[in-house]
Amino acid sequence: MPVTKGEYQVFRNACPRNCYDTCSMQTYVKDQRIQFVEGAPESSFTDGGLCVKGYSYVQQVYAKDRITHPLRQVPRGSGHWERISWDTALETIARKIREIEEKDGSLHGLCLATGSGNHGITNNSPDGMMSSLGYTTRTRGTPCWPAGIDAQAYDMGEMWCNDPEDLVKSRYIILWGVNPAWCSIHSMKFIYEARERGARIIVIDPLFTQTAAKADLYCQVKAGTDGILALGMARVIIEEGLTDPDFLSNHTLGYERFTAYLDQQICLAQVSEICGIPESEIRSMARDFASIKPATIWVGYGMQRHTNGGANVRAIDALGALTGNIGKPGGGVRYGHKTNRIFNYYAASMSPPQGAGPGKDRFINTNRLAQEILDAENPPIRMLWNTCRNPFSQDFNRPLLERAFKKLELVVCVEQFMTMTCEQADIVLPVTTLFEEDTLNVAYWHYWLALNEKAIAPVGECRSNTRIAMDLSEKMNQLFPGSCTFPTHLTSEEWISREFNDRVYEMFGITSWKDLKSGPVKAVIPREAWGDGRFATPSGKYEFYSKLAQSHGHKALPEVVPGRKPSAPFRILTPHSKFSIHSQFQNLDYMTAFNPEPCVRIHPKAAAQKGICDKDLVRVFNDQGQIVVRSRLTTTVPQDTLVLHEAWFKNKGYCVQNLVDDQSSDMGVFKTGSPGVAIHDQFADIEKISPAARRFPFNFWKTR
Amino acid sequence: MSRIQLGFHINAKKCIGCFTCAMACKNMYHQPVAVLWRKLYPLDESIYPFSHRGFYSLACNHCETPACQAACPVGAYTKRVRDGVVIHDQDKCIGCGNCIRSCPFGAPQYNPVLRKAEKCSLCWQRLDQGLKPACVLSCPVEALELKDFCKADLSSLLAFPPGFPVTSGINPSVRFTLPQSPCIVRQEMP
Repeated sequence: MPVTKGEYQVFRNACPRNCYDTCSMQTYVKDQRIQFVEGAPESSFTDGGLCVKGYSYVQQVYAKDRITHPLRQVPRGSGHWERISWDTALETIARKIREIEEKDGSLHGLCLATGSGNHGITNNSPDGMMSSLGYTTRTRGTPCWPAGIDAQAYDMGEMWCNDPEDLVKSRYIILWGVNPAWCSIHSMKFIYEARERGARIIVIDPLFTQTAAKADLYCQVKAGTDGILALGMARVIIEEGLTDPDFLSNHTLGYERFTAYLDQQICLAQVSEICGIPESEIRSMARDFASIKPATIWVGYGMQRHTNGGANVRAIDALGALTGNIGKPGGGVRYGHKTNRIFNYYAASMSPPQGAGPGKDRFINTNRLAQEILDAENPPIRMLWNTCRNPFSQDFNRPLLERAFKKLELVVCVEQFMTMTCEQADIVLPVTTLFEEDTLNVAYWHYWLALNEKAIAPVGECRSNTRIAMDLSEKMNQLFPGSCTFPTHLTSEEWISREFNDRVYEMFGITSWKDLKSGPVKAVIPREAWGDGRFATPSGKYEFYSKLAQSHGHKALPEVVPGRKPSAPFRILTPHSKFSIHSQFQNLDYMTAFNPEPCVRIHPKAAAQKGICDKDLVRVFNDQGQIVVRSRLTTTVPQDTLVLHEAWFKNKGYCVQNLVDDQSSDMGVFKTGSPGVAIHDQFADIEKISPAARRFPFNFWKTR
Repeated sequence: MSRIQLGFHINAKKCIGCFTCAMACKNMYHQPVAVLWRKLYPLDESIYPFSHRGFYSLACNHCETPACQAACPVGAYTKRVRDGVVIHDQDKCIGCGNCIRSCPFGAPQYNPVLRKAEKCSLCWQRLDQGLKPACVLSCPVEALELKDFCKADLSSLLAFPPGFPVTSGINPSVRFTLPQSPCIVRQEMP
């Protein structure tokens, strides 16, 4: 039950977005309507505040253009929409599923495409729904961070990092390719506090980010050369005798081989040439990092979105090991963690119906959705169930995706807004926001656990993913008895309680999940990540030399791996904006008031060479596709780089994936099942649009 | 009781330009889309060398001698004695726009739905309950602080930093700390 405060009922919520901060929230409800939201004061991470996105939630819930009832589009892509009932929608879907099974003798023709749209723990129900129908096709992997996860797994056995709140104990902080001032704003106070206690803040990034503007030192590294810079620093640390010999002899493997490699292959002058940072600066950073204790590195996700991304992260990890900073308070090489993924995932783990016979799911690489749909045969993918994902905005090689969707017989999209993916769907099912369902949330950065309570009744006819799965199961069994095992009548409380086990209770120091109704709780953290010096690698040590990596086709040592060859004059970077998480939030009117339109950021010198002025209409293009946008001249970007922030601007057709192909990164298969994507190894050219072309309306997303 | 004048300390050295404060205001009052009581002003490159990397977060400055109050023909503006908050009474407002034209800081905004003016209230209803204003509460880095200008030591803070209109006589209740630049290592290409 909610707490009553004055005229409001106050509910507990948690932001389920794909974000470091995963804020614990409080929702103020009056007259069955959300009035405003706040950060939960109990969480020392969230500390009572949200972010620009979190504070826009009320508008998301009540937006006039929110989809609030099921829709059917005939034919697909025509824009001819009609309202249909849930019953009609579910029956159409159920009959299609049966048709596929009868035609193919299996359900491999049914494919679930999920993404990171909602990290609520019971929101794994679409996976469970598929399992409960039989053996289907699933997208496997993640576009976000797989290469870095594998890199840390080879080096240390697992991705694992200290509590971010312990950044305050650090005396030297390298924010390497990470921009918390935009992407983890609640971490910034710990970085500031560390500085007040005497720490130096260093930012290494190809872009002069907002975080760089707040640092003591900013080094503009050339994109994708982070690993080489780290190896240069490693060489200096060894050369000048600044290593931690105790840590190296007791807790590491392959140090001698690594030293020999650096000695033979790494020349500081060359490193400087390649990464764009003067030798003197590499030396002084290396010295400071090795001698000021404790020192820590926060490794961002951008640097591993390269064809040599995993190699970059392994080289940076090595700096933490050489200096013995790993396992120390205020130390470590921080990337993320999954130590709190110890729930039962009951909603995701259903058994197939009797009669499904022996079989197994078919897996496709989530990062190459378009190509995988085109390639899938025997049987082809006939039906796509898309939820928590917006492929037409976020998946790579957008032009190819348009071709791939033509091959599909039925596309079901579970959504809140008429996204570019919905525009390519046959049936759209309206889904609840976080305020209209019960679930639980944990983060991959901090260590808090929060309950998410249903604060209001679902808007219109919206249903949660879990409810949709229950309802589809009911419809399947009504039409075709025994065809689906997904539970049909569990209450929210039952769904939540089935996710808990003794390990969860122990980790979070609670005796019942209902304890969370009085506020979020933080995990009891016995020690720093790898604080006992025992690593989860085959040898139990930090492995500079990883036979496992070698057996997976990588270098055994963190070696220099050259990047992807440029195919056009400019590198294009498509990082996150502060106004959105992927394709969420930027479409809201509240956000548009602050950030009305997309742009391409270009250095004034590069713009001058192309005859481009500020706010000109320009065309950014490569072999795959093009984007037409306004230019913005800024010295925050390197001269050889164009920056286009990924986002979905309603009614603007802007989509950076026109230019980004699905080239795989080096690592990711080991821990996530598929390689990552070289999102930042992309190239394009730019030209001013001639005045004549301005008279015509632009179809932004069509290929040339 | 000694006099109190509440005002904002805009710490652009700490400010990360995240727009959280401006959206926290929308979250609390849900003004029409284009009506923004608090705005983030990116600093010109002549003030901070990188565009959109230095900001002033500005709303009503709750001036000592408010220009809006002087310009209002119907007495819709009052200045609270207890804390110096300038309050606009929309019931009295006739939407003439005098305040909008006279405020040097662009604080009063025209509400096209109600056809009246409105502006930052400094969340006086929250203040009266002992709560922080929504914007101040929301700031993740304490770059936006509420101070009593009659008591606080303001000597190290700037009243009229570059990029903020210089006025005389009205004494806005706002003080600033300027943004700083890091030491920068970057290659210039030919």
